[in-house]
Amino acid sequence: MKGLILKDLLNLKGTFKTLGVMMLLFTVIFIPAGNDFVFGIIIIMLAMMVITTISYDDLAKWDTYALTMPVTRKEMVLSKYLVLGILTISGAILSLIVGIIGTMIMGRSFSMEILAIIGGVFLIALVFGSFMLPLIYKFGAEKARLMLILCILIPMGIIFLLEKMNIPMPSTGNPWIYLFLIMAFTMGGLILSFVISLRIYEKKEF
Amino acid sequence: MTNALEIRNLNKSYGDFQLKDVSFTVPKGSIVGFIGENGAGKTTTLKAILNLVNRDSGTIGMMGMDTIKEEKKIKENIGVVLDGCNFHDNLNTGDISKMMGFIYENWNPVIYNKYLEKFKLPENKKFKEFSRGMKMKLQIGVALSHEPTFLILDEATSGLDPIVREEILDVFMDFIQDEEHSILISSHITSDLDKIADYIVFIHQGEILLNEEKETLLDGMGVLKCGIEEFNKLDKDEYIRYRKNQFGYEILVKDKRGIKKKYPEAIVDGASIEEIMLFYIKGEK
Repeated sequence: MKGLILKDLLNLKGTFKTLGVMMLLFTVIFIPAGNDFVFGIIIIMLAMMVITTISYDDLAKWDTYALTMPVTRKEMVLSKYLVLGILTISGAILSLIVGIIGTMIMGRSFSMEILAIIGGVFLIALVFGSFMLPLIYKFGAEKARLMLILCILIPMGIIFLLEKMNIPMPSTGNPWIYLFLIMAFTMGGLILSFVISLRIYEKKEF
Repeated sequence: MTNALEIRNLNKSYGDFQLKDVSFTVPKGSIVGFIGENGAGKTTTLKAILNLVNRDSGTIGMMGMDTIKEEKKIKENIGVVLDGCNFHDNLNTGDISKMMGFIYENWNPVIYNKYLEKFKLPENKKFKEFSRGMKMKLQIGVALSHEPTFLILDEATSGLDPIVREEILDVFMDFIQDEEHSILISSHITSDLDKIADYIVFIHQGEILLNEEKETLLDGMGVLKCGIEEFNKLDKDEYIRYRKNQFGYEILVKDKRGIKKKYPEAIVDGASIEEIMLFYIKGEK
């Protein structure tokens, strides 16, 4: 399993460099403008790279070969979820660093708002990944790219509908409870997503 | 003697294609050449052996273990080369050693480096700059570096020039010097198998047509060239297949010496594996 994760990270080496340059550019452009969304972008871009690793695997027909080695199908799927985790967490840490340095340079004080954005996007990235991975396992990385758009539109649509139906949005109370609930839902979603992906992958023929 | 591989009544159907009761063995210490035209079922059989596809029925054992029950243990001990390079273009040889060290318990970097040197594979070059020959040599080196006892090769020599093929065949011959080692090699380049195989298993439309020791096959079978009168004199059980052309008949016979004795004037040549394969597929009964 460690070998599989290492393979993905080694594969992304080149991409990391390009991404680094892009991030530097974003930071230089957006931070002085006081635009905080750069933190979100860093996390999402890193999380999306899990799709890149799967495209690389497809190109090399890696999975067929990997399964001739002492690697189980469960380890194959689990390794992708762990790579998603590693990438998202790295993204969050990186955003935090950019945030701290950025505010220091700009002479502002580090606000809770930045922390909230980073935390929020971190969870969104995980939820997004939970949708994506089973879709990729079912339909392949190419088709799943189109579905990526659906993955964004559907949750937005649901929120929009909820608003239309005038379901009262929770506005008062202890925010920590909501935070805890959201985290629990995200974790639950991830686990459910893993179980579904594994089912699909175990039936797959190469 | 135990077998490296033992397949019994393997069945697998895809819409319009099926493997029908495929059974054969790879005896320990031998090289088995698995031949057949494209789409005959070679790769499907190999994939079933490796559990890459589900089988409908049948049992497959390797080194005395069931391939489903003891999959992981078996896979520690086999080396597999598929048709093509399965390593990502962005990696280099050092990266492979790092990751394989985590994947195989027995990964041996010393052996790996020995093969890199032997095959003259550059260390800090990405695989996208490798030629096809280099890629295949890399795959074979990797397959041998965790000290497997059984090699499974799917078209490992196709698409390579004769010099590289020769080099690779030499490596296989070295590997087989250890009597515990065995190789199953599928190929449609039958001349390679003429050189190295001990047994020939011939699959056609999902069925095993022929499963024989190579020497027996090449020693016994022959091609008889004659006209219609002689052909009519032949007994049905003296030949396997025949082909008609504008000059007369070409007949694949089971026992070329017997035929020579019986018809002293007839021209009987030896048959190569390729000719045998062609007769079976194109010839008439």
